[in-house]
Amino acid sequence: MDNSAVRTEGLTKVYKDFWRRKSVSALTNLNLNIERGEIFGLLGPNGSGKTTTVKLLLGLLFPTSGKSWLLGHSSIDLIVKSKIGFLPEESYLYKFLNAEEILDFYGKLFDIPKTERRLRIDKLIRNVGLHTYRKRQLSQYSKGMLRRIGLAQAIINDPELVILDEPTSGLDPIASREIKDLILDFKRQGKTVILCSHLLADVQNICDRIAILNKGVLQVMGNVRELLSQKDVIEFVVKNLSDKDVQEVETFIKSRSGNVLSINHHASTLEELFLTIIQQSK
Amino acid sequence: MILTIAGHTFREVIRKKILHVLIGLGILIIAVSPFIPTTDEPDARVKMMLVVFFQVVVLLCIVGIIFLSATSLPHEIEYRTIYGILSKPVSRLKIVAGKITGFALLSALLLIILGLLNVIAIQRIASKLPEGYRGILKARNEFAASQFSIQGKSHHVREGIVWIEGGRSGIALWSFSDLCKKPDDKSSFEVEFDLKIDSGRKDAGAIPLVVGIEDTGTGQCKTVVLSAKIDEPLTVKIDPELVRKSSILNITAFPIHSMDYIGVTGEDAKLYAVRKGFISNYTKAVGITFLKFLLIVTIAVMGSTYLSAPVSIVSALVVFLCGHILDFVKDFSLLIQSYDVHEHALPTALKKPNILLVYIDYLIKKPLEWLTVILPDFKRFDSLKFLLKGINISWETVGVSVGYTALYAGICLFISSILFKKREFF
Repeated sequence: MDNSAVRTEGLTKVYKDFWRRKSVSALTNLNLNIERGEIFGLLGPNGSGKTTTVKLLLGLLFPTSGKSWLLGHSSIDLIVKSKIGFLPEESYLYKFLNAEEILDFYGKLFDIPKTERRLRIDKLIRNVGLHTYRKRQLSQYSKGMLRRIGLAQAIINDPELVILDEPTSGLDPIASREIKDLILDFKRQGKTVILCSHLLADVQNICDRIAILNKGVLQVMGNVRELLSQKDVIEFVVKNLSDKDVQEVETFIKSRSGNVLSINHHASTLEELFLTIIQQSK
Repeated sequence: MILTIAGHTFREVIRKKILHVLIGLGILIIAVSPFIPTTDEPDARVKMMLVVFFQVVVLLCIVGIIFLSATSLPHEIEYRTIYGILSKPVSRLKIVAGKITGFALLSALLLIILGLLNVIAIQRIASKLPEGYRGILKARNEFAASQFSIQGKSHHVREGIVWIEGGRSGIALWSFSDLCKKPDDKSSFEVEFDLKIDSGRKDAGAIPLVVGIEDTGTGQCKTVVLSAKIDEPLTVKIDPELVRKSSILNITAFPIHSMDYIGVTGEDAKLYAVRKGFISNYTKAVGITFLKFLLIVTIAVMGSTYLSAPVSIVSALVVFLCGHILDFVKDFSLLIQSYDVHEHALPTALKKPNILLVYIDYLIKKPLEWLTVILPDFKRFDSLKFLLKGINISWETVGVSVGYTALYAGICLFISSILFKKREFF
């Protein structure tokens, strides 16, 4: 049995103009292998081919050449879609429905039985913190609320593979943190997550492996820690050390031909600071 | 799955209050229709209400449905809500079928609500009509003459019409056979003549006509003298017992005066079995109209799988319009044909090889011929003519309409699925 959640071989997409002439190479010869149960980050600047990759995997676009497999099935196989959850980069939702109705509609498309559907809808609406607004039409939702309901619809079918395109865009830091916790929770449940994001800190914190695309070409792929680690640079994080002790350590390192690049007080991230302040104000 | 998408499509139209607007306008038109000025005939208002419903209200609803069905998929694609459906385990064929079903349900709801209101209004107005004018609320089964002949001599024959002069010089005879096998106990019977009349007398707006009804089996005969007017059908009631017992019924007609003439053909006398079946006939007419809606919805959705919203609307409207003027298109194409056939009559300069004729043939005539084959014939669904004449819409007519719609819609669905399957979503 194929253990990979996502596999692509020479996946290429060339956009053509009206006259079928080659216009833009959006993706060139992409070879990916994403293992089951990992959180995989797909990074790259705008127009790098991230969304094209996702659309090719979902069958929204057809490859010019190459093949892709999801959960052991060809990506064009309809059966595989029942095991996938997808959150697009914008909240493309039916604004004339309310939260319950939209989840019910998508639940029906997965053929989830009525009783089961109702239970899941109730749980998901609570999980994304929209239980107070469940009867309100989506046209009255804020961008953040739409993002939350978008995420809820992406996991209505309890998918094995979740594809999230910019899941935290438009969310405040608290909601953003909740989404990240939710993604880590997916991992604990054994789900595979593909995360496309511009927010590198998010990816760094939660992804096991990443791939960086640029101009449709895969630049690098690997384990986040391995990619970020510099073998010849060592970092000590020490607490409760006096200035005198710091000087002595520096002298010792220099005596052993070490080159001290910087000595700083450890700084927490802005996100950590923000969350601490909000938590304290409560 | 199809029903889920159909229900969703239906809900979208209701939530956006488009259905409310269509129903509101429909009700307004139905309410106004009895007050539209018309002729002085007592049943003219009822006829007007039928015409307004089947031509104005239905047209309004069809245009509304075309707008909705031609824009639904393009809007899903434009606003990218289609991603939400396509990323789920739903085939593209089911998406198209779901959209068509949704709009078909919507059409059915529209027709049921407005049709019901219209029939209630018609019944209310018709209940006040004099007995002689309630024929419009009947559903008559038509029997064509099995034989037509002229006894005696005809005056002259022109364009297939046999002219008979009055004074017993010639008698028109229509024979109806095997009638006893066809009618049921509840029917009454009548003969309707649609004769051409002429007179050598001055200011003769009507001529006296002798009509005979004879049962050949028993020899029983009844003769009546009627006044026939120009361009007005003439109706004679027949004793139901006579029809039920008769194997062959002969109907004869001739003018009394020698200066009067009638022009007759085999189709000018028709025997009708009359029943009180207006509601069932009206329901059949609405049902056939629904098939028209279904067909145009399928065509509009088919266009929208490939075209943008505005182009899709325009093409569906063009197909709808052309589908009503296919006879004209056929005639136009034949006109070019006859021009071609009579080429020998052309001046030498225009004779072969002539690039103009080749262009006309390939650019106009052939495409027109193909259009008449490809385009749906919407006139096939015209059921108003039956209601206005009080003729029962046979189940055969309904069946043929269902079959035609199923075949055409099936082909459209097949093409839609191919087009939509090949479509990419950027």
